Amino acid sequence: MSGRYLLQRIGLMLYTLVVVSLLVFGITQVLPADAATMLLGENATADQLAAIRERLGLNDPIWTQYLRWLGGVLIGDFGVSMRSGLPVLPQIAEALSRSLLLAFLAIGLMLVIALPLGILAAVRRGTAADLLVSLASYIGISLPEFVTATLAILLFADVLGWLPATGYVPFTEDPGRALLHLVLPVATISLILVAHVSRMVRSEVIDALHTDYVRAARLKGMPERVVLRRHALRNALLPTITIVALDVGYVLGGIIVVEEIFAIPGIGRTLIVAVQNRDLPMIQAGALVMAATYCVMNFAADLTYAALDKRIQYG
Amino acid sequence: MTTRRNIIASAAALGVAPNFALAQQAAPRRGGTLRISVDQSVAKLNPLLTRVNPEYLLAELLYSGLTRLSRDMTPEPDLAESWSASADLATWTFVLRPNLMFHDGSACTAADVVASFEAMLDPTTASPARQNIGPIARVTASDPRTVVFALRAPYADLPVMLAYTDARIVPAALARGAGLARLDREAIGTGPFRLVSYEPERQVVVQRNPAFYDPQRPYLDRIEIVVFPDPTAEGSALISGNTDLMMLALPTEFARLQRASGVRVLRTPSGQFCNVNLGCDAAPFNDVRVRQALALTVDRTAMVDFVTEGYGTSGNDNALNGAYTYHRDLPAKRADIPAARRLLAEAGHPRGLRATLIASERPAVRTQLAVALREMARPAGFEIDVQTMPHATYLDQVWRKGNFYIGFYNMQPTADGIFSLLYTSNAAWNETRWNNAEFDRLVEAARVTADVAQRRELYGQAQALMHRDVPSIIPVFFDLLSAQRSYVQGYNLHPRGAVFRLDHVWLGDGAPRRG
Repeated sequence: MSGRYLLQRIGLMLYTLVVVSLLVFGITQVLPADAATMLLGENATADQLAAIRERLGLNDPIWTQYLRWLGGVLIGDFGVSMRSGLPVLPQIAEALSRSLLLAFLAIGLMLVIALPLGILAAVRRGTAADLLVSLASYIGISLPEFVTATLAILLFADVLGWLPATGYVPFTEDPGRALLHLVLPVATISLILVAHVSRMVRSEVIDALHTDYVRAARLKGMPERVVLRRHALRNALLPTITIVALDVGYVLGGIIVVEEIFAIPGIGRTLIVAVQNRDLPMIQAGALVMAATYCVMNFAADLTYAALDKRIQYG
Repeated sequence: MTTRRNIIASAAALGVAPNFALAQQAAPRRGGTLRISVDQSVAKLNPLLTRVNPEYLLAELLYSGLTRLSRDMTPEPDLAESWSASADLATWTFVLRPNLMFHDGSACTAADVVASFEAMLDPTTASPARQNIGPIARVTASDPRTVVFALRAPYADLPVMLAYTDARIVPAALARGAGLARLDREAIGTGPFRLVSYEPERQVVVQRNPAFYDPQRPYLDRIEIVVFPDPTAEGSALISGNTDLMMLALPTEFARLQRASGVRVLRTPSGQFCNVNLGCDAAPFNDVRVRQALALTVDRTAMVDFVTEGYGTSGNDNALNGAYTYHRDLPAKRADIPAARRLLAEAGHPRGLRATLIASERPAVRTQLAVALREMARPAGFEIDVQTMPHATYLDQVWRKGNFYIGFYNMQPTADGIFSLLYTSNAAWNETRWNNAEFDRLVEAARVTADVAQRRELYGQAQALMHRDVPSIIPVFFDLLSAQRSYVQGYNLHPRGAVFRLDHVWLGDGAPRRG
C-alpha cells in the first residue's frame, strides 16, 4: 500500500465531509421554520423574532452563513449552539464519546455472541440447533429497535426491576451504576446485529466447508476441529470484517433511536434535539461527526482486510 | 366512563388530601438529596430567557423574583418584602428584604433589580418577560432597598405579573451586553439553591444556598434534575424508585403510576386548555352564527374523556375556568345538533360547509381534539378535513396566520394575562382577530380598577361576551398530573404548572440515601 494511496483516501474523505456539510446546510434551509421560530415557539412576537434573527446572523444570505461557518470550522471553531448559547465542540465531543462507548460495547457483545452462533449453525447445519439459531435471527432482524427497547424496559425495569429504565451515568461518577445503565441499550443494539452477523457467518462457513481445500484437509485425516479452525474459519471470517464495518454505519443510525428511548445524551439524541430546534451549528457538527465516523470505519475495514489477506493490494 | 372517573376522583382525593395534611402536621426534616425527573432538556440556563417547564424549575431554584405566585394566584413576597401603589395604580414601590446576597457573595440591591428589569424590557434581549410583566415605562432605584416602577398606564395586577417565570433578578454586571451571555454558562442568583453541575440534555445538580434569605429553607441539601425524554421511561424510573418526584405526568401514564406501590399520584385542576381558533375576520367564521353553530356541535363531556383521558374539566368557550381568580360560572354549553343546523342555515349554509382544521403534532392532544371535533360536527353539516403537521411547519405557516387550527395554552397568572395575550384587539398574538371593542373596553377597565368586586363584574361581562360570540371553541381544560414517592413531603402541584417550590420539600421516613 502506497503513501499516495493513503493520501488519496484521506483527501476523498475530506471531500465527502465538505459535500455532507453542504448538503446538510442546504436541507436545513429548505425545512420550514428557523432557529428563531423554534426558540420562541408560541411565545414569539415580531420584534423578538427580528432581534434573535439579527443576533444569530440568520438574516444574512445563505452563502455568507455557510462560509462563515466553514471559516470557523477550518480554524477549529464550530460556533455556539443557537439554542443554549453554549459552545458546540465540547458538547459534541462529550456526546460522541458516549455514543462510541455504546457502539463499541454493542459490537463487542455482538461478536462474542454472533460468531459462535453462526459457526454452530453452519457446522450443525440442518439440525435443531441450526433451526433455532435461524429462527432467532429472523425474529431479531424483524423487530425494530424501538420495539425491543420498549419491551426490554417494560420487562427488566418495570416488571422485574433488575435494571434502571433509562438514563445515563458517567463511569467517572459511579462505575457500577454506569454499567447497569448501559446493559439494556447495548443489548438492544446488539440484538439486531447478532441476527445479521450470525446469518452471514453461517453462510460463509457453509461455503468454506464445501471448498476443495477443506475436502483436502479432511482427506489428509485432519481432525474436524482443526479443519474448521485452521482452514474453514480463517477464510470464512474475512468477509465478516466488511460486514462489521458496514454495521458500524448501521449502529450509528440505530443509535439515534436507542439513545432517544433510553435517554442517553449521545450524538444521536444531540442531533435529534438540534434538528428539532433548527440549531444549525449543532446539526452541522453532529452530522459531520457521524459522516466522519462512517468514513473512518470503512477505511479501517479496507486496511484490516488488506493486512489479513495478502492477495488484496491497494493503490 | 362515569365509573372510571369516580375511581380517579376518589383516588386523587386519597392521594392529594392526606399528603397535604401530613405536610402540615410533621415538622420538616432537613437534609437529603431529591431526584426529580423532567420530560425535556433544560436547554436554557439564562433565567431571563427560559421558555419551558424544566427551565422554569431550574431558574426558580437558582434565582428569585420580586414576588412569587401562590397557588391561589395571589402574589407573595420573594425578594420584595412589601409593596404599595399610588392611588392611580400607575406608580408602584417595592421594598427589598435587608442584606440580600448573590451566590458569589456580592450584595443584591435595588440597582441589580433595575438592571434586571431593563434587560427584560430591552427587545434585543428577547426575553418572554417583556410582554408578560405589565406596561412598565421606567424602573428606578430610590435607595438601595427601594425600587419604583413607573407605568405607561394604571395596572392593578403588577405584583402578580412580576412573579412571572422570566422576571428574575440577576447581578447588574451580568444584565448588560456581554455579561448577559455569561448567564448561559453560569448561575449567580439569590435563589435557595446554587448550581453544582449543568448538563442540559442529561442532568442538572444544585445544592443548598446557605446564604438564602430564609434561614429555615430550603430543607433539602441537594436536588438532581434528571432528563427523561421518553414518558414511559420516566414513569418507570419513579416506579422503580430511581427518581423521587416527576415534574409532570402524562394522562397516558397516570393510571400505571396510580397502581404502583410506594407511589403517590398528584392532581390539580388548571387553566391550561386546548382550543379551536376561529379566524373571525374571514369567511366562514366571520359570521358569528357559524361559530355558534360549531360550538353547539361539541359534546364537552365526551371531549374531556377523549382528549384528557378523563383528567380534565369541560370548557365553556370561556378562557377562564375555576382555577382563575375572576372566573364567572356561565350556563354550561351542551351539544344541540338541530339548533346548530338551524344557525348554519341562517348563516347561508343550508347544505353545510367544508373547512380544513389544522393541528400540530405536538402535543398529541391537538390531533385528538381535531379528530373528535370532526366527528361531532359532521351531523350538523360541517365537513371538516383534519390536517396534522410537524410542529415546525405549524409554527412557520399556520400559527397566527391560519383561520381554523388547534391552539394549546398554559394557564396565565391573571385574567388580564390570558385576555391580553390572546383575545383583545391589541393582544400579543390575537390569533382569532375577534377585535371586539366592547371586550377590549371591559378588559381595559378591569386593568385599571383596584376594587375587587368591580373587577369581578367587569371580567364577568368580558367572559359572557366570549361565551356568546365564540372567538375560539374551548372545549376542555386539563388537570395537571404528577406523581412522587410516598416519602416526599411538602410538595404540591401548582395550577399554573410553572411554579414548583422545591424549597418547601423535605424527605420523610423511607427515603433512600442518595449521592
